[in-house]
Amino acid sequence: MPVQKFRSIEEMNKARPLNRDEANFERFLRHCAQWWAIAPKKYPRGVFKFRTIEEAQKAREKHNP
Amino acid sequence: MTRALVTGYATRMDRDEIMHVLRAFQTAGVEYVLIGAAAMGFHGLVRATQDLDLFIRATAENIERLRSALRAVYQGDPQISEISSDDLLGDYPAVRYYPPSGDLYLDVLTRLGEVASFETVEAEIKEIDGTQISVATPSALYRLKKGTVRLQDQADAAALRERFHLEDEE
Repeated sequence: MPVQKFRSIEEMNKARPLNRDEANFERFLRHCAQWWAIAPKKYPRGVFKFRTIEEAQKAREKHNP
Repeated sequence: MTRALVTGYATRMDRDEIMHVLRAFQTAGVEYVLIGAAAMGFHGLVRATQDLDLFIRATAENIERLRSALRAVYQGDPQISEISSDDLLGDYPAVRYYPPSGDLYLDVLTRLGEVASFETVEAEIKEIDGTQISVATPSALYRLKKGTVRLQDQADAAALRERFHLEDEE
């Protein structure tokens, strides 16, 4: 991984990541796993139906107060 | 409906399970685009999530392919039959499937309000372990997220706009 240098935090935040797609995806999976380990969730298993995306998001929040 | 509680976390197992699902989609020919946090992760904007958001082409054939792929991964799970074309093409464009194992669940979407249709969401193919994955582009994700009321989506939209130098279209 090469070193990136920035003149400001703003410039750093705007910089595109240099990782390859696969590395990014692996990082995403590792990050999720760490989060799940720190804050385990308990879900009912199965299939649930929603009339809108908003309804689906509200249902999700019920399990993640 | 069967119910079970998540008790353990095994990174490798989750990773393998997710890849198994995505590989099964490819094998079955499911027409989908990965949107949401997983898609953002591909683009280097990493945040935790619990779900894989799948925008799928809204046809009965494609939904059958989806069921077939899920059956290949979660053999014997009778819940998969409840993912129906009647629902996804009718009154329930959002169906959530919590598989019998793993920590990620799947949000299957056939309509995204007025924001986008499957045909208009730009996607690019990413390859992981030889599996081709259809992922929404940063600008497509931005368009999906920027107008929503959910705070997380607004934060995602801001991150996408900044990182990829995106501008609002008129």
